[in-house]
Amino acid sequence: MAAVVEMSNVTKTYGEGSSIVKALDGVDIRIKKGEFVAIVGASGSGKSTMMNLIGCLDRPTKGVVKVAGEDLSELNDKKLTSLRNYAIGFVFQSFFLLPKTDALDNVATPLFYRGVPAKEARFRAMEMLTKLGMEDRYSHQSTELSGGQQQRVAIARALVTEPSLILADEPTGALDSKTGKQVMDLFADLNDEGKTIVLITHDLDVAKRATRRITLKDGKVINDERDKK
Amino acid sequence: MNILIAARLAFARIIATKTRSGLTMLGIIIGVMALIALVSVAQGATSGIQDQFKGLGARNLTITGTTNQSITVDDVIEIAREPGVDIVSETVSGRATISSNQASTRAQVIGVDSDYITVVDPDIFVGSFLPNVENTKDARLIVLSSSLASDLELDAYSINSTIAVGSTEFTVVGILDDADGFGSQGSAYIPLDTAFKYVAVPPYLSSITVQTINEEIVPEVTANLTSLLKARHNISGEREADFVIVDASQLLDAIGTVQQFLSLLLGGIASISLVVGGIGIMNIMLVSVRERTREIGIRRAIGAQQSQILTQFLIEAIVLSLVGGIIGVIIGEIVAYFLAQLGQWNFALSPTMILASLGFSMFIGVVFGVWPARTASKLKPVEALRFE
Ligand SMILES: Nc1ncnc2c1ncn2[C@@H]1O[C@H](COP(=O)(O)OP(=O)(O)O)[C@@H](O)[C@H]1O
Ligand SMILES: [Mg+2]
Repeated sequence: MAAVVEMSNVTKTYGEGSSIVKALDGVDIRIKKGEFVAIVGASGSGKSTMMNLIGCLDRPTKGVVKVAGEDLSELNDKKLTSLRNYAIGFVFQSFFLLPKTDALDNVATPLFYRGVPAKEARFRAMEMLTKLGMEDRYSHQSTELSGGQQQRVAIARALVTEPSLILADEPTGALDSKTGKQVMDLFADLNDEGKTIVLITHDLDVAKRATRRITLKDGKVINDERDKK
Repeated sequence: MNILIAARLAFARIIATKTRSGLTMLGIIIGVMALIALVSVAQGATSGIQDQFKGLGARNLTITGTTNQSITVDDVIEIAREPGVDIVSETVSGRATISSNQASTRAQVIGVDSDYITVVDPDIFVGSFLPNVENTKDARLIVLSSSLASDLELDAYSINSTIAVGSTEFTVVGILDDADGFGSQGSAYIPLDTAFKYVAVPPYLSSITVQTINEEIVPEVTANLTSLLKARHNISGEREADFVIVDASQLLDAIGTVQQFLSLLLGGIASISLVVGGIGIMNIMLVSVRERTREIGIRRAIGAQQSQILTQFLIEAIVLSLVGGIIGVIIGEIVAYFLAQLGQWNFALSPTMILASLGFSMFIGVVFGVWPARTASKLKPVEALRFE
């Protein structure tokens, strides 16, 4: 199966000279289509840096990162942005819905940026909100939704573009445990449908819901285990 | 991203942040308001004068000598014979000391013939204009402009009183209303023949006013009179004529130029406040970009190109300045209406002016929106997302 994410000997450093920080240090991983991966590790271990690279938000200092077959170091800002739009569905810890924008347009926005006509974009957004059981909340602003509902809207926004992979950064971190479990159930269902999911978390219970766990420490992969099927 | 969606977003923000948007727009509102009101003053005030000329002098042309021995009473006889010429009125002028019992001043004394009243139609404040005294060779009657009358400390009750021009006594028969006239300030009018006796040397005239039979024929008559007078004054080829002929259209042109100049001047002053308004927009937009760093990060993460972020913020600036412009136009026209009532000129909505004001406010929005919009579009997605 084709690799959605390929990292070969990836190093990412911040700063210069004596204050240089190696956030990632010689990381080699491949994530295949249909996998459900949790990236775990203590605070400062390099999880966010990894997410920025997988999410095409940043480029490595050394080594090669390929997402959906594209080498990030070879792309200019425009192509990198386009790759994010087509390949990645982001789900953030604090939901990050757009202010002053209702649920429907929040979900439709990635399609707007892609140039899909407004009418079609909203139609597809509505379909996705319906799939996630949010059809009666489409005209609500984020301030009028509960945390769990906001995260569903965010997941709908991540799914509506039919990305190669869903990239979720602590998606349950801001939710109570019951709502958090519902969101994890949703991810499990999506994975059963064949969606590739990469989840960043420091919560081991959450990580257990994934089928593969990559553990980072000081910027290095120290463990990579798969559930046996 | 669709421009419509960006515009809708911009409107939503303006409504959601009413107070701030209002304050941001205030500069543009005041600028456009001033622009509309001041230009309407410039146009209203001058169009009054223009209307007067249109009604009065459209059939007239005036011949003036460039030296005080250029045009003569014999010229008048020939001019009167030209086709298309209806009435000819001649004047002479000289300076003299005029004294009343109370005061004394030097003033221009103009000798006018009996047709002057028909051709020029001066407005009378009190009394009457000079009566027809064609057959009286030494009628010592005088009409004063109101400013001259006040210099001489005369008032409405001074009609029929006696004043002296040089050492000769004249009877005041009327005082003019200066407000509507021009060039009449500080002048006195006496009969032509009397003037030849006391203040001017015959047969030389200072000006001849010709009234043609209709407006259309004015250019033709002007051309004919030019060649007639050149021939009579022995001026041939390249030699410069010793007279000038001015018709109402030239005067109207001149007033038009004054009007344009006034409009540009006042409009220019108002435009400065518009530019200041634009700086206000830029300032608030820069603050807004900072506050919305996170939002920009989210948009960039889910696939907004730099150009799309730029467009969004630019449209916001344009919508802000355009809405401000529209409010400014409405208030400006209301102010212009009341100013017209006050100044007693006609109030008219000028579509050109309105469109120009709106265009200019949009332009201001673009100019002062570009920098904040560029700042927003250049934010690094990773850092913008981390921004608290
Ligand atoms: N923009 C940055 N500038 C400097 N140092 C950074 C930056 N981002 C992360 N780091 C450093 O890199 C290391 C890894 O950080 P991060 O990837 O955020 O880890 P995690 O998400 O697991 O907490 C940390 O030591 C952190 O301080
Ligand atoms: Mg982190």
